[in-house]
Amino acid sequence: MGDFGPLLDGFATALQPTYLLYALIGVTLGTAVGVLPGIGPAMTVALLLPLTYTLEPTAAFIMFAGIYYGGMYGGSTTSILLNTPGESASIITALDGNAMAKAGRGAAALATAAIGSFVAGTIGTILLTVLAPSIADLAVQLGPADYVALMVVAFLTVSAMLGSSPSRGLASLGIGLFLGLIGTDTLTGQQRFTFGAPALADGIEVVVVAVGVFAVGEALYVASRMRHGAIPLVPITGRWMTRDDLRRSWKPWFRGTAVGFPVGTIPAGGADVATFLSYSVERRLSRRKHEFGKGAIEGVAGPEAANNAAAAGVLVPLLTLGLPTSATAAIIIAAFQSYGIRPGPLLFQNEAPLVWALIASLYVGNVLLLVLNLPLVGIWVKLLQIPRPYLYAGILTFAALGSYSIGASTTDLVMLFALGLIGWAMRVFGFPIAPAVIGLILGPIAEEQLRRTLAISQGDPVALVDSPFAIAAYASIIVLMTLGLVIKRRARTEAELTAQAATPAREPSVGSG
Amino acid sequence: MSSREPATGRPPTTDAPSRGWSWAEAALPAALVALGVFTIIEAGKIVVPGSSNTVGPQAFPYAVGFLLVGTGAAVLVGISRGIHGRAEEGEDVDITLGTDWITVAKLTGSFFALVVLVDRIGWLLASALFFAGAAWSLGARPWWRPIAIGLVLGLVTQVVFTYWLSVYLPPGPFEGVPFLDG
Repeated sequence: MGDFGPLLDGFATALQPTYLLYALIGVTLGTAVGVLPGIGPAMTVALLLPLTYTLEPTAAFIMFAGIYYGGMYGGSTTSILLNTPGESASIITALDGNAMAKAGRGAAALATAAIGSFVAGTIGTILLTVLAPSIADLAVQLGPADYVALMVVAFLTVSAMLGSSPSRGLASLGIGLFLGLIGTDTLTGQQRFTFGAPALADGIEVVVVAVGVFAVGEALYVASRMRHGAIPLVPITGRWMTRDDLRRSWKPWFRGTAVGFPVGTIPAGGADVATFLSYSVERRLSRRKHEFGKGAIEGVAGPEAANNAAAAGVLVPLLTLGLPTSATAAIIIAAFQSYGIRPGPLLFQNEAPLVWALIASLYVGNVLLLVLNLPLVGIWVKLLQIPRPYLYAGILTFAALGSYSIGASTTDLVMLFALGLIGWAMRVFGFPIAPAVIGLILGPIAEEQLRRTLAISQGDPVALVDSPFAIAAYASIIVLMTLGLVIKRRARTEAELTAQAATPAREPSVGSG
Repeated sequence: MSSREPATGRPPTTDAPSRGWSWAEAALPAALVALGVFTIIEAGKIVVPGSSNTVGPQAFPYAVGFLLVGTGAAVLVGISRGIHGRAEEGEDVDITLGTDWITVAKLTGSFFALVVLVDRIGWLLASALFFAGAAWSLGARPWWRPIAIGLVLGLVTQVVFTYWLSVYLPPGPFEGVPFLDG
């Protein structure tokens, strides 16, 4: 820390008109995508991966950074205004946010979410700026065995935390690892699981897998059990922010940031756990516990800040260690790989201008997002009203476009659909998707590091646990998993209790069709 | 909006052990066990060249195979004990509904029409038909509206990809037409 020269250079790059335009496109796309139900940032970055074949890396990563942060902002709008149970990361915001909207304080809920996201995103990015270079300096000293340990940590914690049971998460990881095996072994040149098909010799394209399980899988899942009838949208009413709202919001913003950022940096299930945790902290500290679940502004401000701080936290291990702790991060790694860049400790040395431009664009993106989200929220609400048949037909069309444009091959399209069917089945039976994507992208890297370790030690497996760092990493698995599962269970029960207490205020229009 | 019911959209917190064995739910973990066994068998067939005392291309596939068998079996055991997976929630999903197979079949049909047609009639027209088919399957009416929107979408994507990004998409009948044929 201390040397802000590279960051200023980064700003000089990120503030060039062309790159500002890419940042604007990124945050706009990201917000749109965050607002639209059914599309997440992981899917969007996956759909846009083919752009990396024509776009130069700086432009591409500035855009991806915008999508990444934008997706986090947009999600809150949906959960506040849409009166249906949503995806897990936004359930918490929905609890009090939706109650506020119904009580005529929708504008205040949106404002506290947007400003909280801005505060948390900015502080998170500052922490990233300060921490990442020093962590990268330390990480340079890590050997292959240490990387194996880190990846085992990521595999196990991510799989065990997500989904309805640890065995399902690990099974999902197994699916991803298997898909990652397909292709030519990098170290010996042997073909594995290619079934003699030349199309598989280079492996299955990451885009096809990611878009297949995320986009096609999601669209098929929604199609098979679509919520019919009118879209239950709550209109935005009330004042943006009163003095009282601000007084009640600012502490939760900072507390949410403090909770979210560390949770993001460790592989503990990502933003999901961070929001649960922040909600339970706010509830415990509040003097008006009875208001929670019925429209307490703290219950929106805290979790939304935590959500965005966690998003910034995820970037720390991603940029310094090449370790993705969420599905979106895994796909961003794939984007780096398609430029022949490997994220890791050397990134700050070898690709300094690119990394610092990316980090600078996160600051820029945050400001753009605040502007895009507060005054222009009306436009995003229009997006929520897109009739669902067109929305999901559009998702499918873009999924097909993303896969087909890689090489104009219909084999990719067939594979896309097959993977979509797998993604559909996984959703129906409660298998989380993220471990599969992380397994697919991290699996080949983990195998290479594992074999490198054992080649150096001439086959002696003791080498895997021969460094203090590796031992600490394996030990941390036990701590992380017990801690994470306890937190998750407790937060979930608490949230469900709050939800039950609040049911009279929250009546989804089910059974109307 | 006619009926007012409590929030049935949310499943019970604990993994409800009430439902018994479900063949449909068992199919996926059973397939995973089969995939794992297949992986283990195939891993044994991978040619290991040269040096023997280090880890070759077989070890990791073996590990993945055992992981698949183990986790698939664990999920199966769980289901037999009444521990069921929780369907994923989403804004547009009503998890209280059963699977609508007819819609899925229509979507599958649209998709394979795209696969067959895209190299013959080009991306613009094939994707327009695909979009229209998918939107219609999902309930968009009247029939001409999805077609019109699909044509616009096909035109825009064709122009953006071939002209602006110089990524090849088959032009179909528009071969040689400016903006549509890279």
